[in-house]
Amino acid sequence: MTTRRTAAQTAIPDTDNGSSSSGNIISPRASEKSNITPAVPSSVIAKLLGFTFAMITLPISTYFLSLNTLFSGNSTWAGASAAIMANVVLLSYVVVAFRDDQSERAEMMEQEKKAR
Amino acid sequence: MADVELTPKFAPFFGMGGIAFAMIFGCMGAAYGTAKSGIGIAGVGVFRPDLIMKSLIPVVMSGIIAVYALVIAVLIAGDMAPPPGQHYSLFTGFMHLACGLSVGLTGLAAGYAIGVVGDMGVRSYMQQSRIFVGMVLILIFGEVLGLYGLIVALILNTKSRG
Repeated sequence: MTTRRTAAQTAIPDTDNGSSSSGNIISPRASEKSNITPAVPSSVIAKLLGFTFAMITLPISTYFLSLNTLFSGNSTWAGASAAIMANVVLLSYVVVAFRDDQSERAEMMEQEKKAR
Repeated sequence: MADVELTPKFAPFFGMGGIAFAMIFGCMGAAYGTAKSGIGIAGVGVFRPDLIMKSLIPVVMSGIIAVYALVIAVLIAGDMAPPPGQHYSLFTGFMHLACGLSVGLTGLAAGYAIGVVGDMGVRSYMQQSRIFVGMVLILIFGEVLGLYGLIVALILNTKSRG
């Protein structure tokens, strides 16, 4: 306990010194707006939410919708089509992830060109 | 009398066991794949947050394993009904058990493979970006194991209306 107390006591003056010395430099920035945009862009979040929703609803709804309309009660084909829909979601996710990376790389190349 | 021999009272037990095994084993595999590759993604995301989107592919594949198990469980459940409406034969019971076990245990195997490959592949992808195509290919081959179990279960299930 004693060691902890001394550590805390030594830590407090340090922070006080830091705030008092740099406080005058920081305080003008308080009027400016801080950057609060999220680290993950909203388009990526929308994509992920969309794929999550598709993964949950698409296969099972395909099964129940196609069971009596497309395949007239043949549950085997309806089950197969549900599995195919799950793989379609996966394939589209891979394509979207790949395209996302390529567009990011293109942006980085453009920035490098501008820097030159 | 022959009817009772072919459709004993305990026959639905095996069909219900098939439903349970499909969901339990399939979801065990999917959970392992998601958790193990999730550990790798969390490790990668600290250093390279831009790779998270592409690193999530093993998680999506593990989800598909669970969808396979769900499809078979729904399929078997659709074939079952209480006794006055349907006489459930012992053959159908064993067949549904085989459906559930084949899709469940192959799902377990595929989920295990996806988990191990996803964890290590994502970590390697952080250091060498060319490994992505190989990683996705290995993941697809691992996931196809679960698809084979689904195909066998679907073919078996056609025999229920013989």
